[in-house]
Amino acid sequence: MAASAPKENPTNPLSGVVRPLATAARQFTKSLIRPSTIVYPYERLEDPKFRGKVAVASGRPIGVGDVWDNYRGVHALNIATCISCNLCAFSCPDICIEMVSVAGDDPKHPKKCPQIDYGKCSYCGFCSDACPEGCLTMTTRYELAVTKRAEMVYSPERLHEVFQRKLPMNPIRLERPANEDAILLDAPLCIGCNACARDCPTKCITMLDVPKPTARPGEKLPRRIWKEPVVNDSDCVRCGTCISVCPKECLFWGTHK
Amino acid sequence: MTGATLYSVSAALSALLLGAVASILPAPVSGWLTSADVVTGLAVLIFSAILLVASMINTIMLIWFERKMLGRFMDRRGAMHVGYAGLLQNFADGLKLFRKNTFRPQEADSLGFYAGPTAYMVTSMILFGVLPISTGWSSGALPLSLLLALAIFSFAPLFIFVSAWSSNNKYSLIGGMRSAAQMIAYEVPILLAVVAVVIVSGSFDLNVIVNEQQNYWFWFPLLLALIVFVAGMLAEMERIPFDLPEAEAELVEGWNTEYGGMLFAFFMLADYVRALIGSILVVLLFLGGWTMPSWVPAAATSFPLAGIFWFMIKTYAVFGLFVWIRASLPRVRTDQLLRVGWNRMIPLALLSIVLAAVLVTVRCLPFLGCVPPVGG
Repeated sequence: MAASAPKENPTNPLSGVVRPLATAARQFTKSLIRPSTIVYPYERLEDPKFRGKVAVASGRPIGVGDVWDNYRGVHALNIATCISCNLCAFSCPDICIEMVSVAGDDPKHPKKCPQIDYGKCSYCGFCSDACPEGCLTMTTRYELAVTKRAEMVYSPERLHEVFQRKLPMNPIRLERPANEDAILLDAPLCIGCNACARDCPTKCITMLDVPKPTARPGEKLPRRIWKEPVVNDSDCVRCGTCISVCPKECLFWGTHK
Repeated sequence: MTGATLYSVSAALSALLLGAVASILPAPVSGWLTSADVVTGLAVLIFSAILLVASMINTIMLIWFERKMLGRFMDRRGAMHVGYAGLLQNFADGLKLFRKNTFRPQEADSLGFYAGPTAYMVTSMILFGVLPISTGWSSGALPLSLLLALAIFSFAPLFIFVSAWSSNNKYSLIGGMRSAAQMIAYEVPILLAVVAVVIVSGSFDLNVIVNEQQNYWFWFPLLLALIVFVAGMLAEMERIPFDLPEAEAELVEGWNTEYGGMLFAFFMLADYVRALIGSILVVLLFLGGWTMPSWVPAAATSFPLAGIFWFMIKTYAVFGLFVWIRASLPRVRTDQLLRVGWNRMIPLALLSIVLAAVLVTVRCLPFLGCVPPVGG
């Protein structure tokens, strides 16, 4: 097998010298007026003058209103609509989200909202995908430089401030799968304690009466409240709070028969 | 401009300074101070200082020029934060390097380690005293100034090798070895290409060579020699694609791997001094030096310092060509360099000598006019 000659031989006058020179000259004349670089501290991508004008190497334009809206920057949190479902913290692969109390209406049961440590965050966006209410979204804000490490931790209030600035938000939302698991009840174990219904963030659990069976002779009825939780699957956000608060472990994930 | 040369200006400045100092000193000292020898001595010093400062500023501007131009070649902007359009960036870099501690490896040879960069720098700077920049700006009429310039210019690989060997580092040593090895490959074609210029102009004096180009510049009839000379100069200046001794992809930083701080700055600056001198040599030998063709309007060539103005324009244009080549071509291998040097450039240079001989014999070319009789 004959060895094939390399395409670009540096010692070949045409392919090795003239053609590269021509290519470089073309690039030079192209970028002489305006190189692709956006001189960041002085110019910003958000400037309307870059809309659709800045071409990256692939030829795809980047700029406000194009790919830019998909940018995953600082989160925006709407505290008012947050239901404290914990799904964001649960889905976070970096464990940078912690649910902390915010000053709310009810001092007895303070609302818990996500606090994000941007020192750990990898901006994957899983949290905003998981958020059932759409109250935690990612914005296009990318300037995060701080001088103290503690300033990297964004409290819910700070995230709410970001929300109030009405920045462009990442519209990506995951569709819920049709065959999503639902909350099922292992009825004989239930004691009707109401913990699930009390803690459900969406209040989709209602406690319905169950008929108290008549005890056969010699049989001792369990000591319990004769109520059972019924989950409204269309309202349920699948946060699993009911499962974790159930004292008898009678709630579990499953599919309806 | 008639009569006012750089030397006459510095002589007048020297006489003025010494006269002012002598007027407040007692008689014997003031008499000695205003004697012709002392005035001449100080004039030479002032002359050298002006030349040094001007060439250094030009060298640093050359680095800025390369950075900006390379930036455009790479679709970016280059230095732009310090000063207007980054003009002061290199001064800031130099200041930073100046403040840094110079560090010598424990096993390095002290004498060679420190003497190498110094000698490299000094031999590069000496050349500014040899090259005429414009009429009245040369330090004197040297009948063999071209030969002297090329001789000093080719010192560099020796000092590179000394500092590389003294560094006691394998990468440095390989870089120094390569520098010494590639010297012979390009020195011969360069000198042969220069012979073609010398044949046409009939002199080794750079002033005469430039004056011979009043009618037409040498680049057109001696295009072959120009190509060989530029390629050889690229290797002489150790710029891409012939920067094998530095070859940062394989040899860390080549022969200056162990150098830091001001010693590294010496190498860096001397590299650009040599690039500037290489551009100046191309301009002097092939592009008519400070002269302009006769069809250029007289207003563009007769204003004060017009010679230097056009000379610098040409020099920077030639350096721009070097940057263009740097931005385009990959680094060649040693064997490729040697093959280009021995198999291609030497025959081409010999051919250009033949062409030069024909040109001198025919004396006249269509569209170009006639060559003056040999010997000016």
